[in-house]
Amino acid sequence: MGTNLFVNYGEAVAMILFGIGFGNLLLQPNLIKKIIGLNIMDTAIYLFLAEKGYIKGRVAPIVANGVQSMEAYINPIPSGLVLTGIVVSVSVSALMLALTIRLYRRYHTLDLDEISKQLRKEGL
Amino acid sequence: MDFVRNFPCISIMLCLFAGIISSGLRGKAAMLVNAALLVTNTVLSACTLAYTLAAGESFVYVMGQFPAPWGNEIRAGVLESLMALFFCIIMLLSLFGGRHKLIEGVEEGKLYLYYVLMDLLLSSLLALVYTNDMFTAYVFVEINTISACGLIMIRQNGRTIEAAVRYMIMSLLGSGMLLLGLCMLYDLTGHLLMSNIKESVAQIVAEGQYTIPLIISIVLMSVGLCIKSALFPFHAWLPDAYGYSTVSSAAVLSSLVSKGYIFLLIKIIYRVIGFEIYRDSRIIDILFVFGLMGMIFGSLSAIRENDIRRMIAFSSVAQIGYIYMGFGMGTEAGMTASVFHILSHAATKSLLFIAAVGLTDVSGRNRQFIELTGAGYRNKWAGAAFTVGSLAMVGVPMFSGFISKLLFSQAAVQNNTKMLPALIVLGISTILNAIYFMKTVIRIYTPVEDTPYPSMTFRNMPLYAVVLVAFIILNVTLGVSSQPVVDMIRQGLAMFA
Amino acid sequence: MYLILLSIFIPILMGLYLLVRKEYASRGRLLATTCAGLVLTGALAVASFTAAYGSSFTLFYLTKSLPIAFAVDEMSVLFSCLTVIVLLCAGLFSFEYMKHETKEKRYYGFYLIVFGVLNALCFAGNLVTFYLFFEMLTLTSMPLVLHNGSHEAIMASLKYLFFSMCGAYMALFGVFVVSHNSAVLTFSTGGILHAAAGSPSAGLLLAAAFAMLVGFGVKAGMFPLHAWLPTAHPVAPAPASAVLSAVIVKAGILAVVRTVYYIFGADFLRGTWVQTAWLILTLITVFMGSMLAYREPVLKKRLAYSTVSQLSYILFGLAVMGAEAVTGSLLHVLAHGLIKTALFLCAGAIIFTTGRTRVDELRGIGKEMPFTMWCYTIVSLGLIGIPPTGGFVSKWHLAIGSLQSAIPVFRWLGPVILLVSALLTAGYLLPLTIQGFLPGADYDYEHLKKREPSPLMTIPIAVLTILSVLIGLFPAQLTDWLTRLAARIL
Repeated sequence: MGTNLFVNYGEAVAMILFGIGFGNLLLQPNLIKKIIGLNIMDTAIYLFLAEKGYIKGRVAPIVANGVQSMEAYINPIPSGLVLTGIVVSVSVSALMLALTIRLYRRYHTLDLDEISKQLRKEGL
Repeated sequence: MDFVRNFPCISIMLCLFAGIISSGLRGKAAMLVNAALLVTNTVLSACTLAYTLAAGESFVYVMGQFPAPWGNEIRAGVLESLMALFFCIIMLLSLFGGRHKLIEGVEEGKLYLYYVLMDLLLSSLLALVYTNDMFTAYVFVEINTISACGLIMIRQNGRTIEAAVRYMIMSLLGSGMLLLGLCMLYDLTGHLLMSNIKESVAQIVAEGQYTIPLIISIVLMSVGLCIKSALFPFHAWLPDAYGYSTVSSAAVLSSLVSKGYIFLLIKIIYRVIGFEIYRDSRIIDILFVFGLMGMIFGSLSAIRENDIRRMIAFSSVAQIGYIYMGFGMGTEAGMTASVFHILSHAATKSLLFIAAVGLTDVSGRNRQFIELTGAGYRNKWAGAAFTVGSLAMVGVPMFSGFISKLLFSQAAVQNNTKMLPALIVLGISTILNAIYFMKTVIRIYTPVEDTPYPSMTFRNMPLYAVVLVAFIILNVTLGVSSQPVVDMIRQGLAMFA
Repeated sequence: MYLILLSIFIPILMGLYLLVRKEYASRGRLLATTCAGLVLTGALAVASFTAAYGSSFTLFYLTKSLPIAFAVDEMSVLFSCLTVIVLLCAGLFSFEYMKHETKEKRYYGFYLIVFGVLNALCFAGNLVTFYLFFEMLTLTSMPLVLHNGSHEAIMASLKYLFFSMCGAYMALFGVFVVSHNSAVLTFSTGGILHAAAGSPSAGLLLAAAFAMLVGFGVKAGMFPLHAWLPTAHPVAPAPASAVLSAVIVKAGILAVVRTVYYIFGADFLRGTWVQTAWLILTLITVFMGSMLAYREPVLKKRLAYSTVSQLSYILFGLAVMGAEAVTGSLLHVLAHGLIKTALFLCAGAIIFTTGRTRVDELRGIGKEMPFTMWCYTIVSLGLIGIPPTGGFVSKWHLAIGSLQSAIPVFRWLGPVILLVSALLTAGYLLPLTIQGFLPGADYDYEHLKKREPSPLMTIPIAVLTILSVLIGLFPAQLTDWLTRLAARIL
């Protein structure tokens, strides 16, 4: 068990990062910190994917020097997934930031609980 | 006839194109494009449904030229096309029913954006329904989230933005877990296509390898989707999001968006993990327990609520609890009941939202119950529709809700260990439902003398009345002749396995 | 076949029409429409159980295993007769009484719908159809309870709804269990569960039977879920209370009859814990209802408590499961229906003319409204069970039936409690007569003025009184018929 953790240290780090990001996104009252948490969480997953796709001693799947053997290259699919994931996470982050700006202009705070309190005061 | 095989792909593509075209159009034109899109998709889904029913089996449509283990696929069976058909119909009705509120509530120049978002939402829903690829499902889950968020905040005030932020946060947590879960599953099996994953999972289980990672991955995916579909302990975002957004959004969100995720979970259960393996993991017991708790706590919150829209929103929490309870039975019958309830709840909840807005409109925009007194007389159509919706929710025979209740109970009777809790909670929840819905119905039919509010007649808004009537017909049809639908669901589930 | 459907759907459609149409220009036209509806429905109901007697048909299938079917048998005839008589009389009475209430159109609309639903219950051919209309009955009779729209009425109707839903759900649980054990749910004499008698699921079926008894018993005001009845019945307008208290509660009785004798079969339940528990519950209800009625000062509420107690007489007879006792029960269904309607209509007439509701305010009422009070007195005697009125015959059969049965303890305990309760009945009904006719020496005769209500009110009361006396005077044929019926279903 312990050795496995040590051998797959990349995955272990990814999981720890995921936990950190998840916790931040869930628990931080500050919206910007939440978004940072979101990005940490997503990045952790990309790290996990990249780590899974990488095979030690092999190179990126670009045919070079005429080597066509499958054994020479790493699995390209996780890399593709990471790229797709990055696109998704960028757009989501952008949306969250836009929402945050809206809220900040209206309530002059980034604290979500504070905003809820003001909302209740408005009685909307 | 084999041309029909292209229809699922075409309908998804059409949505995307419609979205792109609409972004260059004015509000009214975008609306027409959207309506045309929905009608076309309804027809396409109906054709697919007829085709799969006639063929008696599902078909796979390969996207591009890459064959099975690598390419991206679409898969359509009876259940998928039934869902797609239903989603299109409900969305069409909800949009038309809430149109007048939309024109009021959204800034003049931004109306087209609403329809762009709707097109996107439909594309993501259809993709979720049809796709055979896990990663595609994830991407469309995110598209779904983003467009749903836009739908919530299109009517801009502090409440909706806050609700949208909360919705986003919970959704992102959910999709993060889903993504991690499916990455782990990919890691375990080396596949992304559902059918291939299923084979590998079966092999892994048979060999007894990687038990814990597999369980963790299943848990992550299930919990992620539960968060997104607002199962009980994760429902905090729901009342605000449904309660303050414009009415079409609320109707679409409650009846379609959350159902899209639930349907994805069904696909994961049947097509990715395999029903037996999923059942034998302990997760279904957890779903069962949380479903039961949701049924009770959702209804209790709804009873306490003094705002009609939020009351209906809380009732959604309870109804989603029903669906997960059906999952939790771990039987074919329970799953059938859940799928039927997805349909019946979608038809009923959007009806209730649309009817509620008609009632609040004739009560000076007040949503407190005291102001709604006598609203059923001021807007007869909305009053009648709300009554039908309430009866269906309570589960009175002849309405759709009764058939769900019937199917759930039949499923419960077959399962010895879970029979008693399921039936007892079903009973309590029915009674609680009856309390708050009947309270509302009585309230809107309590006459008041000299009300300051004007009445609304058919001539004021013919479209609204027609939509309500269509909803009522849909509900009663589901309640009276449910057998064909139930048969289709059974057949569809059989095709899944 | 068409007659049955017409007798169900014509009143429902007419009621709906009344509900949605604009306010009538004159009251007369509303009354004419309603009157036409009532008479037509009554005629159709009578025609359907005379012409279509013994027939049965399936309307459509709700799901593959759940047909909506109708059938006419003796039990339908009995309950349908009662329904028609009571609804026509009370409807006639309302024409006058509802003058001092508002929203008449809604009242008559729901009144007609209730009529249709009651017909459907009488003619229901299987358990699912019955359950369907049973729920509809709750929902459509609720507006009658909340008619005046006061806070009290709304709370009462919610209480009614709450209890009914509880009951209906318990019953539904039973329906599910039964349908799990039997391919069909058609009512047939002797039950449909012979095969399951010795099987391992018998225990579950007994629990289901008990759940159905308690659940359907809610409508019939059976302990422990009786509390809605004394709250809900008195707040309705008097003719509506009469219908609620005389006929709608009988739907609960019919449900119990159908469940016990047409689904489970008496042999299945005889001698089991279900029978014992049921007997205990009914006897508690009989005693408790009378006791509470005895202590209640408001007249209509007193009558409602009396309903609780009297209905459990019927349930007791059914629980004994002997030919004699069942005959008594079925006779009491008829007798109590007529008598309770008459009593509520009398109370309504008193409220309508004097505006007084409490018993102690009604001193000397017999001098003011002698005709009404005479009718009241005669039917009261009937309810107490003094010959030669209808109540006597039915209670006689009940007591004999109980003594003949072989159930330990209850065979003598039952009649004792019935007797005590009869004394209490006298105690709560007759003081009004005594005070009414003999107000005492200090009564102010100077200001006495005769104020008998209009014939629209007195005629229904008179008709009901005469009928209840006729049952008592010439019971032979009716009893014979009921005895044969009882023998067949046992």
